[in-house]
Amino acid sequence: MDDTSRRDFLRGGWKLSGALLIGAAAYTGYEALRPLASSAGGAKITVGTTSSFATGTSTYVSAGRMYIVNANDYLFALSQKCPHLGCHVPYCESSGRFECPCHGSVYDLAGEYIAGPAPRGMDRYEVTLEGDNVVVNTGVLKAGPPRGTNNFLTPPKGPSCIGKA
Amino acid sequence: MVEVDPNKLEPGRTSVDHGITARIKRSDPWRSAFRHAQLDTPRGRALQSFSNVFLHVYPVKIPKRVLNLRYSLRLGFIAAVLFGILLVTGIYLMFVYTPSVGSAYGDMQNLKTGVGFGQLIRNVHRWSAHLMVLVVALHLVRVFYAGAYKKPREFNWVIGVMLLLITLGFSFTGYLLPWDQLAYWAVTVGTNLVHYVPLVGGRLQDLLIGGPQVGQNTLLRFYALHVAVLPSILALMLTVHIWRVRKDGFAVERTSVGSFSEEATERPAAAPAAEPMALAAPELYGGRVRLLGVVDRESVTEAARPVDDTVFTWPHLLVRHVVVALGTAAVVLGLAVSFSAPLRGLANPNVTPEPAKAPWYFAGLQELLSRFDPLVAGILIPAGAVLVLVLLPYIDRNPDTRASHRKVAIVLFSILLALAVVLTVIGTFFRGPGWKFIAPWTHSYIEF
Repeated sequence: MDDTSRRDFLRGGWKLSGALLIGAAAYTGYEALRPLASSAGGAKITVGTTSSFATGTSTYVSAGRMYIVNANDYLFALSQKCPHLGCHVPYCESSGRFECPCHGSVYDLAGEYIAGPAPRGMDRYEVTLEGDNVVVNTGVLKAGPPRGTNNFLTPPKGPSCIGKA
Repeated sequence: MVEVDPNKLEPGRTSVDHGITARIKRSDPWRSAFRHAQLDTPRGRALQSFSNVFLHVYPVKIPKRVLNLRYSLRLGFIAAVLFGILLVTGIYLMFVYTPSVGSAYGDMQNLKTGVGFGQLIRNVHRWSAHLMVLVVALHLVRVFYAGAYKKPREFNWVIGVMLLLITLGFSFTGYLLPWDQLAYWAVTVGTNLVHYVPLVGGRLQDLLIGGPQVGQNTLLRFYALHVAVLPSILALMLTVHIWRVRKDGFAVERTSVGSFSEEATERPAAAPAAEPMALAAPELYGGRVRLLGVVDRESVTEAARPVDDTVFTWPHLLVRHVVVALGTAAVVLGLAVSFSAPLRGLANPNVTPEPAKAPWYFAGLQELLSRFDPLVAGILIPAGAVLVLVLLPYIDRNPDTRASHRKVAIVLFSILLALAVVLTVIGTFFRGPGWKFIAPWTHSYIEF
């Protein structure tokens, strides 16, 4: 073993320690920043009985940050979060559609994509019927139907809400 | 009569001033802090720089053309001044602000009604932040057109691009802190962009906002980033940035060679005629020996007298910088007095305001997002733009800094710049609720 190899060994040692230190710092940073398992979400919510959701209506349920819609007697629980960039999508009573004020995405009553920059329809929670009760499992969020799905598309009931503010 | 050490007198002075100030300034305690008198001689001016740690950001002497405003428009310096203003006002704000969902908004209101000059400080902070983004961007544009990213300055350009990104990071993290509707939804839209990053997007967004939606965790980590992480990184990189500017000689000469480096500042410029002579007779080269050689007269004079076009930084550049700093402060104060920083209603995760606009420097991005797929508009285009900016000095290998010799680079850059400006203007002024096209003179939705 000559001097050079010892020097190389030490040099490598410094590099390795440096890398370990960076790794430790990065992991600590990750641990500090990663979201803790939250108690919110994941619960099953009973939102009402089937009779409380008339055909062609949308009802906002603030406990689950979602809409319960009845489109042609099919019940959907739509997340209020726009699949485009996360704005709250309000339901427009006059047009009977969901119209996002941020970037102009439009969805029909069942949350299917109609227009705008969104990549898909509105995301849906799992809905089950327990007797006559409508139960939404907020732990299961399914990605909305892809663009082009239009099983529930109807012409707008009236004027759009956007632009009236 | 007090004995006075003649070394403590200005050269050429014979009489001793016996006034109280003069005596204090000659005293040993004073001299322990300020080691020499302020002398209006070349030596004195050089000493000002040598003996002052803060003046070490400047070279002792600079080429005279650096004094010309046209050379840099002082944009980099103005950005640094704005950062200073932000630092000071930011510290004031930290005393009255709690990064908590429950109290942040109230603190903002309290600032307006309960703290003397509170609203003014917030206005100054906000306006300096807007101006800093603008000035840093203009600085980048100016440096591009001057060709000042070319060898040996390539890496400083890279650091500059990173400083621009950090500046945007500052703005974005600071935007959330008032916790009003404007803040909440701009940041919701901004952080949802991250979701579109391939593979790691969801995890990355979780790390950024710390939960399923923007909330207390987001506020706390944005606050930590805004007041601790980003300032540290910026201070570190700014130090390197300024140090490199100083080492590379402050201003680019518009020539084909292009580099004016420290070598040239600290040694008299090597005379062009001397080089072939040095090659021919290396043993003779050096000092004035070459003047004794048999060469024709013209070239001797040319070689012997490199023109010294340098001036002392102190006071020539310093006084200009002080004036520019005062001007910057005046503009910021004027804006802060005239236009208040907005504060909309308390952040409400259930109501998205119409329109939900990002801050103006992201309006171009938002405009793109309304037209293209988020992966393309939100991730690929901006990431590509940053990558091209970072790699620019390594892509453009043409050493020429004269505009007439770099037409391709200038035309390409100008087109991209124009696109960015047009998108930003449309996004800022011509978009209303639902991101529909509006005429800005009928109703404006601009929020600063």
